[in-house]
Amino acid sequence: MFSYYLQLGFHSLKRNPVLTLLMVLGIAIGIGASMTSLTVFHVMGSDPIPWKSDKLHYVQMDSWDPNRAYDDDDQSMPPDQVTYRDAVALIEAGKADRQAVMYKVAWPVQPENRDIKPFQSLGRATSGDFFALFDTPFEYGNGWDRAQDKEHARVVVLARETNEKLFGGQNSVGKRVRLNDVEYSVVGVLKEWKPKIKYYDLTNGSFSDPEEFFVPFNTAIELKTPAAGNNNCWKNSAEGWEGYLESECIWLQMWVELENATRTAEYHSFLDNYVAEQKKLGRFPRPVNNRLPDVNQWMKDNRVVSRDVEIQLGLSFAFLVVCLVNTIGLLLAKFMRKTGEIGLRRALGASKPQLFMQHIVESGVIGISGGLIGLLLTWLGLMAVRGLYDYFDSVARLDWPMVLATIGLSIVASILAGLYPTWRACQIAPAAQLKTQ
Amino acid sequence: MLKMNHLSKVYRTHMIETHALRDFSIHVREGEFVAVTGPSGSGKTTFLNIAGLLEEFSGGEFFIDGVSVSGLGDDARSRLRNEKIGFIFQGFNLIPDLNLFDNVDVPLRYRGFSAADRKRRIEENLARVGLASRMKHFPSELSGGQQQRVAIARALAGSPRLLLADEPTGNLDSLMARGVMELLEEINRQGTTIIMVTHDPELAARAQRNVHVIDGQVTDFDEEPRLRVPENGRDTVATTA
Amino acid sequence: MEFRPILSALMRSKVALVLIGLQIALTLAIVSNALFIINQRIENMGRASGMNEADTFMISSLGFGAGYDVKNAYAEDLATLRGMPGVANAAPILTVPMSQSGWSEGISLTTTQQNSDVGVAMYFIDEQGLDTYGLKLVGGRNFTADEITHRDVRSTSWPNIVMITKALGERLWPGQNAVGKQFYLDQEKPPLTVIGVVDRLIMPWPNISNRSGDKNAYEFSMMVPQMVPFGLQTRYLVRAEPGRVTELVKAVEAKLAQTNTSRIVREARTLTEIRAECYRSDRAMLIILIAVIVALLSITALGIVGMASFWVTQRTKQIGTRRALGATRGNILRYFLTENFVITTIGLALGAVLTYGVNLWLMQAYSAQRLPVLYLVGGMIALWLLGQLAVFGPATRASRVPPAVATRSV
Ligand SMILES: Nc1ncnc2c1ncn2[C@@H]1O[C@H](COP(=O)(O)OP(=O)(O)OP(=O)(O)O)[C@@H](O)[C@H]1O
Ligand SMILES: [Mg+2]
Repeated sequence: MFSYYLQLGFHSLKRNPVLTLLMVLGIAIGIGASMTSLTVFHVMGSDPIPWKSDKLHYVQMDSWDPNRAYDDDDQSMPPDQVTYRDAVALIEAGKADRQAVMYKVAWPVQPENRDIKPFQSLGRATSGDFFALFDTPFEYGNGWDRAQDKEHARVVVLARETNEKLFGGQNSVGKRVRLNDVEYSVVGVLKEWKPKIKYYDLTNGSFSDPEEFFVPFNTAIELKTPAAGNNNCWKNSAEGWEGYLESECIWLQMWVELENATRTAEYHSFLDNYVAEQKKLGRFPRPVNNRLPDVNQWMKDNRVVSRDVEIQLGLSFAFLVVCLVNTIGLLLAKFMRKTGEIGLRRALGASKPQLFMQHIVESGVIGISGGLIGLLLTWLGLMAVRGLYDYFDSVARLDWPMVLATIGLSIVASILAGLYPTWRACQIAPAAQLKTQ
Repeated sequence: MLKMNHLSKVYRTHMIETHALRDFSIHVREGEFVAVTGPSGSGKTTFLNIAGLLEEFSGGEFFIDGVSVSGLGDDARSRLRNEKIGFIFQGFNLIPDLNLFDNVDVPLRYRGFSAADRKRRIEENLARVGLASRMKHFPSELSGGQQQRVAIARALAGSPRLLLADEPTGNLDSLMARGVMELLEEINRQGTTIIMVTHDPELAARAQRNVHVIDGQVTDFDEEPRLRVPENGRDTVATTA
Repeated sequence: MEFRPILSALMRSKVALVLIGLQIALTLAIVSNALFIINQRIENMGRASGMNEADTFMISSLGFGAGYDVKNAYAEDLATLRGMPGVANAAPILTVPMSQSGWSEGISLTTTQQNSDVGVAMYFIDEQGLDTYGLKLVGGRNFTADEITHRDVRSTSWPNIVMITKALGERLWPGQNAVGKQFYLDQEKPPLTVIGVVDRLIMPWPNISNRSGDKNAYEFSMMVPQMVPFGLQTRYLVRAEPGRVTELVKAVEAKLAQTNTSRIVREARTLTEIRAECYRSDRAMLIILIAVIVALLSITALGIVGMASFWVTQRTKQIGTRRALGATRGNILRYFLTENFVITTIGLALGAVLTYGVNLWLMQAYSAQRLPVLYLVGGMIALWLLGQLAVFGPATRASRVPPAVATRSV
């Protein structure tokens, strides 16, 4: 019976090719638009480290200006980075299961091999815990340990591509690398590691490229390496590098790993105590306001999914509704035009459920064709989005769940669109054919 | 009032030419009630359509009120239809989305009467066919006979001098048919010229004149109007050559 | 002409009315809000930077090695650059407008003021900076060569003279001549005196959200007579002779790399590229919105064509009857145009409410501005025209229905 309905459906669709094309294209364009923006939205907002995102917490403390909140737009938000003094104090206290302070550095790389020209390279000065904290995959070797942190060890972890460039992808552990005129020995090489969103440093662009190398935090400090990322001060500092380290300028990001909610609460009260102590020293002039957002919360706070993307999503779904309403109208028109035929079929003994099936199959055929074309349009749309926003390269891509969602959405959409017209068609009386006017 | 001389009408579809009317001559005078009979496909509707300016003809002459209509454009024909001619159809042709008031209003709107004038005419004519109380009803809520009476009210609303009816009783039972016929006779008595196509010899017999059409030609034509058929004289069949 | 009968006839097929009305309403809401956003973005993108963008590019040099002397590098590089054929002028800089990175400070007018709410972008230049950027001096004077000093990034003191933009002067001292006025960057240190005013120089981040309500806040910039290396990095702005910028980018890159081998020459970017980059997401939004509007209007127009065609087919007999009863072709054409007008108007009435609903959502969730009525009216007129245009085809077809249909069709 189903194949008979399919046959009827195709036949009926072929009879008004223009109308059919209109309906299919309507659905396809609506699906294409909404799925394109949904994909971008979905990938941008998706959890970059789902297995432990709730255990990783960004550290925020309000060390800012007594006269002015850090964030004009959201007065309750503490600063998005910490001072050197506080970072060092928290690391030394070592109250979290794992903890990493970090900042962005830019150093020239001077290859041993004279054939390779020196090039500038962006890296991250951080604690040894960084690698375990963010589960970075190692190709060769390992990170460094806390002892090496303390000793300002001259060690480096290379990203896969840097290792490719300098050592042709060979195991380079133990080899030497010259960065800004200082020699480091390679302790580890990462596998390909490109989180779609650079969630561990949202203060310097959510979609920036990952680092090319990693060095111990204390080493970079010892070498007086300025931050290549954001730096904010509310108070003037004393002269020189030492003055800067002692200042209230914020330029470091700090992450802690806390096993469960109890540990988080403990750490939170530790922070509160720390701030209370500092207040006694005349620092932290604002009310105590410490936050420990987890990865997803931190992404929300930083609007990783931009306003434009959200507006586009809303817009594209309104657009889909218009397309659906359009299809409902056309399908209704079409089924109503067949009043005579339907009445005749009823008179010849077709039951309401049978007629219902026949027409819902017809709308389903429209939906599936619309969905498939819509999928193609989504693919094209994402390509266009990647062209429009250069940094969306990693997020504007279809994944399997999205492909399935697209097809699902189009079928649901067209069945929804077909439901009312089908119902109306089934209401036609058997005698409709005989009793015109 | 209406005069056709050697009129012909040819329909051309694909390869076939249908001569719906040929050498068709007729003269209908003011105030007459003419019944047109003939076998199916003989050209009755074609004649009526041409008489009502719904279709053009292929050859011959056609005058309304002594004016040749062959040179008239579409708009002029529409105006003429609107002012001088009323139509009654076999299928009633009421507009299903409009209530009775608005249905009768249709030709008056095109005529451009004032709102007050239109209202008066609509009410008057609906009253005349006995449906004044159902002005706000929709056609689907009426019986066939009632619908045809609305159609008559609509045809009369613009006070046409010529009423054309194509099998006005074709879709009605004999009782209703007689009611409609009586209404038409009364309208005719008040001075409106009527040309009515019918398959019903009984109804045809009640007209003043009979025209019989076979194969697109008038074969039987009462040159002079017969005596009015008595109300109860159903077996009086007049045949004058 | 005949609104009431058309309206009551429409009321008999409410579903169709609701469908088309809803479609038109949504279309209006989306189109007018999108047009508003588009216009704002275009306005944003069209703002002049105040500098010569066509002929300028910036370039950075990152030195390495203990022996690398930044002061020396500045002197050598500037001499090299200014001596190159095709170079109109060159200057040491920290940043350029629209590059999204730089230095900002808060200004106080007194030593006691607690809360500085004037954020200013800092441009560090030498005496050639004004000419290299291509800025227009509208008051006071430029720096002289002997006023230029070297600054360590970590230094906390300020020189005692600066130049500012006209907008900043107007903000600090409304209606007065800013030249000779003083303000503080650090209340514990001596004040800075304004010696010159330039017409316009926008911030490196022109898209700052501006809560203070000053719509010129993105023009609050100041020029400091200092050269500021960032570690061992120095940066220059080069202004080429008109039309030679592309050729010079490569030449300068090669020349600088060649003059000193213990450095990396990088980030050679023209202002045109920087501008494109800065407004890239605005441009993307713009294109996406325009695509949505075009697609939406096409879908709606095609929907109207489809529905109207269906109605014409469905009402063929009715049209024939009307013709038989005396309607001219014009009457029939007008009937369908009027009908479309009525439906569109109903949809637009609903759409007006919806438009402001969407606007309210945008205002609340994204601190957008209130939609000017002009956009609503514009959207309405566009949709009226679109509707009439879309229905014209089917309506013409309707007017060609022969009157004989009244007697012939079943
Ligand atoms: N539009 C048309 N195209 C081609 N041929 C037509 C057309 N209309 C009518 N005819 C033909 O013209 C002839 C006359 O038709 P007409 O409708 O006038 O007959 P009629 O006398 O009214 O028949 P009936 O009593 O069945 O209504 C028929 O042969 C018919 O097939
Ligand atoms: Mg006939």
